[in-house]
Amino acid sequence: MRFVAPSVRARLTLWHAGVLALVVCVFSAGVLLIVRARLYRELDQQIGHDLAAIEKVYREEAGDLGKLALRMGSTRFEVAEGETVLYRTPGWPPSGTTSVRTGTLADASHRVTAARDETALRETLWTLAVIFAMGVPCAVGLAIGGGYFLAGRVLAPVGAIAEAARKITAESLTARLPVQNPRDEFGRLASVMNDTLARLHEAFEELRRFTADASHELRTPLTAMRSVGEVALARSPNEKAYREAIGSMLEEVDRLTRLVENLLTLTRADSGRVPLVREVVDLGGLAASVSESLRVLAEEKEQILEVATAAHVDADCDPAILRQGLVNLLHNAIKYTPTGGAIRVVVRAAPSGGAAIEVTDTGPGIPAMHRDRIFDRFYRIDSGRSRDTGGVGLGLSIARWAVEANGGRIELESEEGKGSTFRIVLSQVP
Amino acid sequence: MRILVVEDEKKVAKALRDGLEAERYEVRVASTGEEGFFLVNHESFDLVVLDLMLPRHSGIEVLTTLRKRGLETPVLILTAKDTIDDRVHGLDSGADDYLVKPFAFPELLARVRALLRRGRPDQVLKLEEGDLAMDLVTRKVVRAGETLELTVKEFEMLEYLMRHAGRVVSREMLARDVWHVTARATPLDNVIDVTIARLRRKVDDPFETKLLHTVRGVGFALRSERSEPG
Repeated sequence: MRFVAPSVRARLTLWHAGVLALVVCVFSAGVLLIVRARLYRELDQQIGHDLAAIEKVYREEAGDLGKLALRMGSTRFEVAEGETVLYRTPGWPPSGTTSVRTGTLADASHRVTAARDETALRETLWTLAVIFAMGVPCAVGLAIGGGYFLAGRVLAPVGAIAEAARKITAESLTARLPVQNPRDEFGRLASVMNDTLARLHEAFEELRRFTADASHELRTPLTAMRSVGEVALARSPNEKAYREAIGSMLEEVDRLTRLVENLLTLTRADSGRVPLVREVVDLGGLAASVSESLRVLAEEKEQILEVATAAHVDADCDPAILRQGLVNLLHNAIKYTPTGGAIRVVVRAAPSGGAAIEVTDTGPGIPAMHRDRIFDRFYRIDSGRSRDTGGVGLGLSIARWAVEANGGRIELESEEGKGSTFRIVLSQVP
Repeated sequence: MRILVVEDEKKVAKALRDGLEAERYEVRVASTGEEGFFLVNHESFDLVVLDLMLPRHSGIEVLTTLRKRGLETPVLILTAKDTIDDRVHGLDSGADDYLVKPFAFPELLARVRALLRRGRPDQVLKLEEGDLAMDLVTRKVVRAGETLELTVKEFEMLEYLMRHAGRVVSREMLARDVWHVTARATPLDNVIDVTIARLRRKVDDPFETKLLHTVRGVGFALRSERSEPG
């Protein structure tokens, strides 16, 4: 089984200490080797001096070798000519417990060998080794302790972030993680997580609003059905009245059905489960066909509905979904433009290089304060008016989804009292 | 004509039974997949109306086993899920047609009629209802000797109504079969209402007897007799 350190702190400390131990060991070994080499070189030099002195005495006054031996103290030596030993200090050859280092100077006629005691040198080296052997664990121990402490301090913000994050739930999404130093790594991490939380909070808020709006919209037809049914049961004596009541209830069912269909469309769009069947679509043809199918509505309101195709423009998109978006835009334009107004559908190459379908009306226009929110679900400029004109306030949301699903966007230009232009911008097929 | 309805939701099952019986079909109701399976194996039916969301056994399972046994009774599935995948899955498993809940009852009746009629040629060249006559070849519409000028959509709509003469046609049916729009979230109801109003102006307004009737909350019906819709 592999050993897994329980925490980042422990792992950090272990790594830290391990590396330090390795470095200290290598360093100590190096120092020992260098010191040893140096000491031996010095010893060898001394032996060299000894040999030179012995050689000198041997050549000049061989009889004085005994005196020299006394003067040299601890250095022992032997001078031989061939097999015959000329002089030998007492205790030669060096042996037994004391370790010595020897040097030899030889030529054809004679051979000088000197030896010096190296016990002191070995002791020095040994002492040094002992110092290192005791110092390294101490240093590593200190490194572990210090490293653990430091890692703890450095990692403290992580603990704080984790603790704060643990307390955050769907209900307390407004809470934020502590940012101790926004410039360091942990500060950046916390900031990024805070941004995520902010987006999450926004999404939750939107969902909450959506649910509240949706239940309100669902409740309205339900209330109507209930009261119509109850009143009819309580006091309608004849079949005609019952028929009326049932018909009225069925109308509400219709409204409910349409609302659910719209909600389903948006839910499916949200979850990205709508498969796009892309093909090259002639936008001029699409605009003409959508206008034709809605023309009766404009005619009913004595509006002029014009389709102008400035150029033949193709776009790569799902025709059914894009059609739905355009139908919703045009339906809206007809609905909110007063009797006798004019609606123009223009297909052209967009200035930004894409393809565009513009729906321009001569309606009341959209006040600036509503323009940002007009595509929001259930958003109505005038909640009192909209109910009578039908619809549930999802048409533009669906239109925006239909266009964005096809990789495009909807732009809105509007002047109060003069009219609005909704522009679908898509990428053009080259 | 015997119809088996496999539906676990009691209210829906009762409504289906009553509605179909009112159209003079003989109806058996099964409330579980097993029961439906048993009935199909022991009695003979001309049509099965099958809910896909059944307790224990899914409708698809029942359908697959049924087809494996070689039973070729037409099957109309009812489903609350209307993603393309679900429809394709249902039709692949051997269903002949599907309806998405909540459905309009007239539409169910139309589908049932179509399935029961299947296999028989439907080569009609002329449609008539009261003093209204439509020639599908020359595309001429005449009422009481007077030729009516209709737009393409008005003609198609009238044709659809005449083909379903005497029965209620819902807006959904018109949207799908006349406008060919399948996305139910598309706002076509107003267009349909306006077209009906215009058709009425041409077909009914100049004449004493009214043929085009609005059935409030349900849809429209073309019928020559004066009786209230039943």
